[in-house]
Amino acid sequence: MQNLLTKKRKTFRKVVKDSWHGWIFVLPLVIGIGVFTLYPLIQSLIYSFYRYDGLFVNDFIGLQNFVTMFTTDRAESFKVFGNTFLYALISVPLNLCLSYLLAVAVNQKIKGVIAYRVMFYLPVVIPAVVSGVIWSQLFDKNYGLFNDVITKFGGDPFPFFTDKNTAMLSMLIMSLWSLGSGMVLWLSALKNIPAGLYEAAKIDGAGVMTRLFRITVPMSTPMIFYNLITGMIGALQINSTMVFAGDGGRGPDDSLYFVAVKIYHEAFTNSAYGYASAIAWVLFLVIGLLTFVTFKTSKWVYTGDE
Amino acid sequence: MTYETMQKTLIDGNFRKVRGSRVGKIARLTVIYTVMTVFAAIFLIPYIYMLLRALMQSSQVQLIPIELWPRPFTFEAFGQLFGSGGGYLDALWQTMKIVLFNLIAIPLSASFVAYGFSKTKFAGKRVLFAVMLGTMMLPGAVVQIPLYVMFSKNGFNWLDTVLPLTIPNLFGGGAIYIFLIRQYMTTIPYELEEAARLDGANPFMRYFRITLPLCVPVLIFIMITVFNANWSDFYGPLVYMTDGTETLAYRVFKDAIYTYVTPDKANLKMAGGLFMSFFPTLLFIIFQKQLIEGVSTSALKG
Repeated sequence: MQNLLTKKRKTFRKVVKDSWHGWIFVLPLVIGIGVFTLYPLIQSLIYSFYRYDGLFVNDFIGLQNFVTMFTTDRAESFKVFGNTFLYALISVPLNLCLSYLLAVAVNQKIKGVIAYRVMFYLPVVIPAVVSGVIWSQLFDKNYGLFNDVITKFGGDPFPFFTDKNTAMLSMLIMSLWSLGSGMVLWLSALKNIPAGLYEAAKIDGAGVMTRLFRITVPMSTPMIFYNLITGMIGALQINSTMVFAGDGGRGPDDSLYFVAVKIYHEAFTNSAYGYASAIAWVLFLVIGLLTFVTFKTSKWVYTGDE
Repeated sequence: MTYETMQKTLIDGNFRKVRGSRVGKIARLTVIYTVMTVFAAIFLIPYIYMLLRALMQSSQVQLIPIELWPRPFTFEAFGQLFGSGGGYLDALWQTMKIVLFNLIAIPLSASFVAYGFSKTKFAGKRVLFAVMLGTMMLPGAVVQIPLYVMFSKNGFNWLDTVLPLTIPNLFGGGAIYIFLIRQYMTTIPYELEEAARLDGANPFMRYFRITLPLCVPVLIFIMITVFNANWSDFYGPLVYMTDGTETLAYRVFKDAIYTYVTPDKANLKMAGGLFMSFFPTLLFIIFQKQLIEGVSTSALKG
């Protein structure tokens, strides 16, 4: 027994001796995750079971916040989740497809192609708040460039962000401005495909479409996979509508009201910290679930070791 | 080659047949350049529209039908924003405090932790790395309310200061940055450190003297990303700051939706936006190669 204990203590000492350098290097991260991620994560789960205004009221109400989301506040909460899913479902694949075309265009070996790449990517580096300002001005009913052109050709002014039926469409158009981010990912994916594959396919008489769907797409699946995951996580958390949607970021008839914006308003406009935390946790679970499912069904991703 | 075959080529889209001939090649290039130039123009129009309207007088931006060319060109809007009472100088100073701090803190802190992950062995390494990657998936909305409550309490009293947007970055600086630097560090051969180790340099000296200087390429990418992210962030300041202490991005946001909503203020909105876009654009044009490469490598390795 005595022997066993000393042996155990020795191994523990040995672990410390071998590890302490490494531990010091990652210590900041451990503290950071603990204080700024883990603690608030648990805290927000606790809040979600309380009616809490951040100062005085602090009542335990069990699952009431989650029930509210599906009952009394149902119209609004379903609307924001619906809007968010709709936007994510359309914008992610749309950007993936159109940015492919852009990448093919700037992947040619011709003079000055770098300059085109720079111009296509430029909108991506422009701050979200600025693109919100620019596009709300471009889309303005009276003073906007788009409606100026439309009316010059004899059309009626298009309402863009000011009508509930056109607001989402306008936002999707606006999202195309940052196609450059998808473009650079496609470019690096294209660069990694061995040219020999195309040569061989050409000799076998494969057409453009066959080459696209039998070589380019399968070889680019790691990038497509990355794009799907990050695009989805990003789209589900969009809050830039606060800049251009009007009505405090809700848009006409809540047509541009997104989950992240509702969480902000519930917490910092209505001081309903508990309810806001509950919505945030539902969003978290949705994102976690979607990511999990995407990873589980990722057999189609080419890993290079087949 | 005749005009007929050229036309046929264009219709068929079958360029290969005539690739050898010079006229065919010119025709093909003309089509490509025309299409790309049209697209480039579409991408640049919003930017140019902002630029032109930022340089107009207030009286000109209210005209219907709209005018595109400023007459006269004026920096009036910038004068109003940055002059006394405009408040943009104070907001810029708040932003600079955050940006400058993070430009130093994040690369140092992230590379320090990344060194631990790539060059040392310790118990619990795999678990910690997995947990760190997991935090990347976490929506900011989940932790933001408790963080706000925490920072507002006595003992912190961090609201209306730059502290919530700076101090947390001392602790690793963000999973994505650690991950990127770690990927880069694993490609550095161990032999370089071995010599220093035999000379008696401890891991901390080896990190600072040998590995860190070799990471400059990835650190440049990270610093540009950090600059853009902190310069552009309106949401963090919106949560943690109120009037008088706001950053530039938050100020532009607030003015766009509350202060400058009337048509006569459109030039001010655009001037604010133009100033906000100036540094990200400049950095991008200077470092476009590193930025585009950095973005794609981070995607492929992640």
